[in-house]
Amino acid sequence: MFKTKLILSDRPLNINIKSDDIKFINLSSLKIANCIGCYGCWTKTPGKCVIRDDAVKIYPDIAKSDKLLYISRIKYGGYDTIMKTMLERAIPVQQAFIRLVAGETHHVQREVAPKNATIIAYGEISDEEKEIFRKLVARNAHNMNFESYQIIFTTELQLEETVASEVEKWEASLS
Amino acid sequence: MGSIIILNGSPRAPKSNSKRYAGIFSDNCKCNTEYFNISKTNHYELCGKLGNFTDMLFVFPLYADGIPVTLLNFLKTLEQNPPENKPVVSILINCGFLEYKQNDVAVSMMKLFCKQNGYRFGSVLKIGSGEAILDTPFKLLVVRKIKKFADSISLSRYCTLQTTMPISPKMFVKASTTYWTNYGKRNGITKEQMETMQIEK
Repeated sequence: MFKTKLILSDRPLNINIKSDDIKFINLSSLKIANCIGCYGCWTKTPGKCVIRDDAVKIYPDIAKSDKLLYISRIKYGGYDTIMKTMLERAIPVQQAFIRLVAGETHHVQREVAPKNATIIAYGEISDEEKEIFRKLVARNAHNMNFESYQIIFTTELQLEETVASEVEKWEASLS
Repeated sequence: MGSIIILNGSPRAPKSNSKRYAGIFSDNCKCNTEYFNISKTNHYELCGKLGNFTDMLFVFPLYADGIPVTLLNFLKTLEQNPPENKPVVSILINCGFLEYKQNDVAVSMMKLFCKQNGYRFGSVLKIGSGEAILDTPFKLLVVRKIKKFADSISLSRYCTLQTTMPISPKMFVKASTTYWTNYGKRNGITKEQMETMQIEK
């Protein structure tokens, strides 16, 4: 499987990505409808969402990526609407069938590369909200094939600087 | 005794398991209940109704480890359009996994919403194996727990409850494989086709 380095952002960012190996996607510029919970991607057209909008171009990239950066505003301790909508639409990367992971039941993954994930969570985030988000990402790790992950909390004002710093680290590791 | 507005936050509300859970709740609740699906277009209408109720029950599935976008978007509208008299918020959440604890993060999110917006938090019922349990003999366990849950809200004796299939994880994997294989079969899709590792190919 060809692996990619992927950045998914819920907003446009003014950052300079020099490496061609890194793909940046601004989700807010795309047309992505809500998942309708039809189970079509599991039981009618396995591996494919029945809603043929921009999401169908994104979840294969999520699956292929071995290095992943999610950039999302935080709401009620979780991803805000734009990122959460995409994550819900990414379930074609899983099968309906269940397996045991560390003794817990989770969906079987299709061809999904193990990931080194970074989540940059931005906004005015309280300590309680950070704690909920940490627990959420720990759960995501089981269901989204994160081999390792880190969470970086930042403000809206410092977001571009924070992202640029992470991208520099990625580029340094690629060169 | 108060009255309860039941809001279904499932993305497939009209055909959802959440609707079935809400129906069992209404059938076993001593208070008056009114049921509504949350849709993209009825947020303001629902916000306008809330002040007439003592309690508000959100019924929804776990989605990508958290609350579904359908519900998230409604909460954001509600934040901007709060009722004058805020009902007590209770939650009935179900996930397809065996472990009802996988719902905990979503419950924390709802508690945070309440805290940030001045709603008293009421009862919680966390259901594991929620996709299939209503079509098994274990339905009895769920009905019994929903009745207890409904009583806790009716009597304002708020509490946290949970239920799931009383089987081992290994047995659950086996049972869920049969469940999903039959689901695919109804669509003319074999188990092998469902097991494809390919994505968008």
